[in-house]
Amino acid sequence: MRDAMFMGRLTAGATHEMQNILATIRESAGLMEDLLALGGEGFVHAERFKKGLGVLAEQVERGMNLSEQLNYCAHATEPAPAGADVNEAMRSLVGLTRRNAARRRVSLVLAQGRTGLRTGLRALEAMGLAGLALDCCLGLLAAGAQLVLAVEEQGGLAVVRLDGPSYEALRAQPDFAELEQCARTLRAGLCAGPGGQGLALSLPKPVA
Amino acid sequence: MNKQDWKILLVDDEHEFITTLAERLELRGIAARVVFDGESALLAVAQDEPHVMVLDVLMPGIKGLEVLERVKRSNPRVQVLLLTGHGSTRDGIEGMRLGAFDYMMKPLSIDTLIEKMESAIDYAGKAANLGQ
Repeated sequence: MRDAMFMGRLTAGATHEMQNILATIRESAGLMEDLLALGGEGFVHAERFKKGLGVLAEQVERGMNLSEQLNYCAHATEPAPAGADVNEAMRSLVGLTRRNAARRRVSLVLAQGRTGLRTGLRALEAMGLAGLALDCCLGLLAAGAQLVLAVEEQGGLAVVRLDGPSYEALRAQPDFAELEQCARTLRAGLCAGPGGQGLALSLPKPVA
Repeated sequence: MNKQDWKILLVDDEHEFITTLAERLELRGIAARVVFDGESALLAVAQDEPHVMVLDVLMPGIKGLEVLERVKRSNPRVQVLLLTGHGSTRDGIEGMRLGAFDYMMKPLSIDTLIEKMESAIDYAGKAANLGQ
């Protein structure tokens, strides 16, 4: 955990810098847009210029989302006295894992779930556990498949559910033993999803 | 009050960001003075009290929240809009407790910033009328 906390500190500083860089790019693009609007008549490439500025704005937005999720990870090592927000942790995990899934041509989707659910785990622990489960599922899904991660409440516990391949097939995955071990260490529950499809992780409650 | 009469002070150690923001405001008829650290901000407020100060919370030297506290003690009419980042949202909330008018996360939308400046100036005007 000490290494993770060190990485967290480095990442927090870097994401703050990244945010300043993105803010500067956005303002500079905004200034160009303003100047174009004021005196763009007669500029033959005005439309192409505007399109380029639009792309800049979109990419700044994309960078902001990534930077926000990375910043969340940077602080995810810290213990949260009231428990870690499971939705927030899963939103960051899905945001940062999407590219890995896309490389396998799988689209990763975070379902609109219940908000406000908390766990006694640190956010990074919950993300690490769900990340292992994601890896198991991604190893089995065919190109073009969709993998849905949902956060639900069951029996007073926050449950992370992955609607993926059959649980039996998942258990045969090489990474599954590590997932089981990690769930045991963190005192989290691991079982098959409804109808034996996918899996569900029940996360321990925050300490009262 | 017309936008042309607003007195705005922008405070951020990110030179390119804050000077570009000032240029964009100027194109909209709003004159803004720019300083790059907390010490200069305190001096600028003492020299020529602005209506609104846009203040970054994370700066080297005197931190934004300390600048806010000192300005609110010396020049309580100055309305302060705090600029926060991912890691400093809590500072924004703390700033509201210390008397900031509002806080905004970077990157900004210039239209939202101007709306907030307008609200802050309206609020200051109403507060001054009530005090009379």
